[in-house]
Amino acid sequence: MKDLVRQKLSINVDVMDMLNEQIAKEAHSSSIYLAMASWCDHNALNNSAKFFYDQAEEEREHMMKIFRFINDNGGTSYSPEVSNIPHDYNSLEEIFESALGQEINITKSIHNIVLKCRKVNDLATENFLQWFVKEQMEEEQTMRKALDLFELMGTDGIALKLIDERIPTIKG
Amino acid sequence: METVLFKSRYYAAYQSKKGRCFFVDIQDRRIKMSFCQLLAFRQKILAIDLDAHFDAELNRHGIEILTLCNREHLFVLDTLEVVDLKMFIQGIFTMSELHTLVTV
Repeated sequence: MKDLVRQKLSINVDVMDMLNEQIAKEAHSSSIYLAMASWCDHNALNNSAKFFYDQAEEEREHMMKIFRFINDNGGTSYSPEVSNIPHDYNSLEEIFESALGQEINITKSIHNIVLKCRKVNDLATENFLQWFVKEQMEEEQTMRKALDLFELMGTDGIALKLIDERIPTIKG
Repeated sequence: METVLFKSRYYAAYQSKKGRCFFVDIQDRRIKMSFCQLLAFRQKILAIDLDAHFDAELNRHGIEILTLCNREHLFVLDTLEVVDLKMFIQGIFTMSELHTLVTV
């Protein structure tokens, strides 16, 4: 008997569900970075604002990459709903701590999908996700570099302005 | 010619050899589905909150209204039918996975 489901869908259906959840997480992440960019803009931290605007776009690109991958392989991608975006922050340091936490969560989620792919022998998706594994490593490093600046310079007086000036250099 | 994919207490799924499509028997009706529609059907069933059926405030009447194939079909299901439907849709895709494993 020919397997029509397999003929139509190249990826594992449970992995497809996890990828759809990942789409929602990337969209959520993009919106959080947008909120962070807005906070930075209002607090005259222009370089940090630009950094987070770029991050927001990057997360959306990640989302679209997964979105197209699912559809290209015969699955169905679902456009995500985004809610619960925090807009209140106490400091730029808190924003970067929160951004690092956000990236760590995304990394864990990607790793979970890779592990599931190995379990169900979905080699195509595992191969596709390797790019994300590397990308997440770089994202975490970037956020850590920002937090290192706070450790090195503190936040008193002109230090915050100097940190903001150095933000464009942290992206590897 | 149709081949049985999976059968449960209330439902049955077939795949057509010629039409490259699926048929699902629900409440005495045979619904023709493309693969895309089958995936949408699966998504709708997975989204049904079964716990709500056991909570008088969340789902007072214990029924579920299910629309299929761009609202071409409408079904009203009771709790038992919903429980069976959730197992049924999993069964269809599990059979496909088993088939893939056997033929590797």
